Amino acid sequence: MIRHLFKLIWNQKKSNFLLITEIFFSFLVLFAVLSFILYNYHNYTQPLGFKYDKVWQLWLSPNTDSAAHNIAVQQQMIQRVRSFPEVEHASFSNSNTPFAFSQMNAGMSYKSKKDVFSEVFDVQDDYKNVMGIEVSRGRWFGPQDNGSLHDPIVINKKLQEELFGDEDPIGKLIPIDDSTQYAVIGVVDHYRSYSEFDPEKAAYFHRINLEKDKNSIWNGLVIKVKPGAGVAFEEKMVRELSRISKDWTIEVTTQEKMRQSKAKVTTVPMIAMSLVCGFLIINVALGLFGVLWYNINRRYAEIGLRRAIGASSKQIRNQFVGEVLVIATFGLLLGLLLAAQFPLLNVFQLSSVIYWESIGAAAFLIFLLAIVCAIYPSRQASKIFPAVALHEE
Amino acid sequence: MIQLTDIEKVYRTKTIETVALNRVNLQIERGEFVSIMGPSGCGKSTLLNIMGLLDEPTSGFVAIDGQPVKTHSDSKLAKLRNEKIGFVFQSYHLIHDLSVVDNVELPLLYRSVSASDRRKRALEALEKVGLSARTKHFPNQLSGGQRQRVAIARALAGNPEIILADEPTGNLDSVMGEEIMDILLRLNQEEGTTIVMVTHDENMALKTNRLIRFFDGQQVADSMVIEAQI
Repeated sequence: MIRHLFKLIWNQKKSNFLLITEIFFSFLVLFAVLSFILYNYHNYTQPLGFKYDKVWQLWLSPNTDSAAHNIAVQQQMIQRVRSFPEVEHASFSNSNTPFAFSQMNAGMSYKSKKDVFSEVFDVQDDYKNVMGIEVSRGRWFGPQDNGSLHDPIVINKKLQEELFGDEDPIGKLIPIDDSTQYAVIGVVDHYRSYSEFDPEKAAYFHRINLEKDKNSIWNGLVIKVKPGAGVAFEEKMVRELSRISKDWTIEVTTQEKMRQSKAKVTTVPMIAMSLVCGFLIINVALGLFGVLWYNINRRYAEIGLRRAIGASSKQIRNQFVGEVLVIATFGLLLGLLLAAQFPLLNVFQLSSVIYWESIGAAAFLIFLLAIVCAIYPSRQASKIFPAVALHEE
Repeated sequence: MIQLTDIEKVYRTKTIETVALNRVNLQIERGEFVSIMGPSGCGKSTLLNIMGLLDEPTSGFVAIDGQPVKTHSDSKLAKLRNEKIGFVFQSYHLIHDLSVVDNVELPLLYRSVSASDRRKRALEALEKVGLSARTKHFPNQLSGGQRQRVAIARALAGNPEIILADEPTGNLDSVMGEEIMDILLRLNQEEGTTIVMVTHDENMALKTNRLIRFFDGQQVADSMVIEAQI
């Protein structure tokens, strides 16, 4: 019977062409949207490598050009922040703190590996405690690095793999310029701070040494507050800090708010695409339903004939559902030819698993849609009384 | 072979009640070639549909090979139609998107028959009706007579014991009509197939063994053809 259905649909290919084309495009749109969703979902399920709970973000910007004054104010501010009983830990950083709309990158070379692109995070020793970062190999920054010959860095595993491969990275020196070399002192398994929906990139932490570096102003200050710290503490802290830094602009937010705001960058287009896709699916469903309904009315006599020569009502129902599935299969096969190029040619450098999963899910949804649309008209077809149907022609 | 007892068929709408068959009693024996005649609307086709288990009588009993079919499920009725009965219609009822041989194979699709066996039996049936050279053609490439021969081949492919033909020569000219009648007569005489044929053509009817006449849903005459000719 399956062969018969394929033969029947193949012989009707001209009349089914538009429907097959519609399914082909629907499959491709579904594939694209599902790839996007699955890609983001896959990233979302990966570990971030830090904890953002009860972490507050302060944005600091001086409004004077006096470097010496600003450095002094900066020192006072971090000391004051750490002295609040509500604060557990605090650390200066660059503006590229987790979930910020800011990135810093640098190229690194080691032996034959040239210009490995990496995210750079300038942080103080306490950053590990603020963000709950766990070091899997080596160690985090500490006072022992004050007298270090080389700038200590802690790298993530991704950078380790890209730069050192299977070699042990601890103690390795990476030349940056003629006078600077980085020394790898530790490795963290993960650090994925840009967005929950972004993939992990190669990254390293570079130590801020306020004693040594007398020229830099750090825009970011992240603090880990104790449970119960709320608006009252925020007001108190800002008031106190404003007293120290009269001519600075201070903004306070939480990492949770930043996370939500950053998530919208991905979720809003995802929802919009899903809605558009949903409307498309509804259109295809109506098309399928209409064509099947029309087909059944057009093929009334054929239904009567099939009943006369031995088809039961169940077989009639199955035949019409089967025909829709065969039409869907033709559309899917065409779509598959195109969609399969994405994993095979590694388009957009996405994992091929995501593409294959999207292909599978899109095919499943198309078949499900075909079955749902076919059930009612097919049931109606199966209820046609053979004598009446044969009389129709 | 086919027994109809007190068959009544009434079509009812909200305002009108039409009696299509009124207390029809009929027994068709194995190997008979029976023709049914009567004016349009007298209930001939309705009777054929009831015999072919395509329609249910309002009252009365239908039995095939002595077995009443009233309590049969839809699938059991379908199986009976598939295995015991072959249909030939005035308007052929061929599927235009299928080739001649695929059309002939249709009844075998509803049985557990392998694809190769289906093809073999379809080709044999086409040979019987003299259409071996047209197996790959499509119905719209055939003449009316050829189409009707395909329809007969389709009825034969399932090797049925009974063929029910509803005005099989109605759409054909006299020459083609004769050809179709010859095929039916040969089937009846050489293979012993029981045939019940509805016709408007007295000449065709006179070639059969038995002639039943209907008028206003009632059986008004039932006679052997020799007697009828006398």
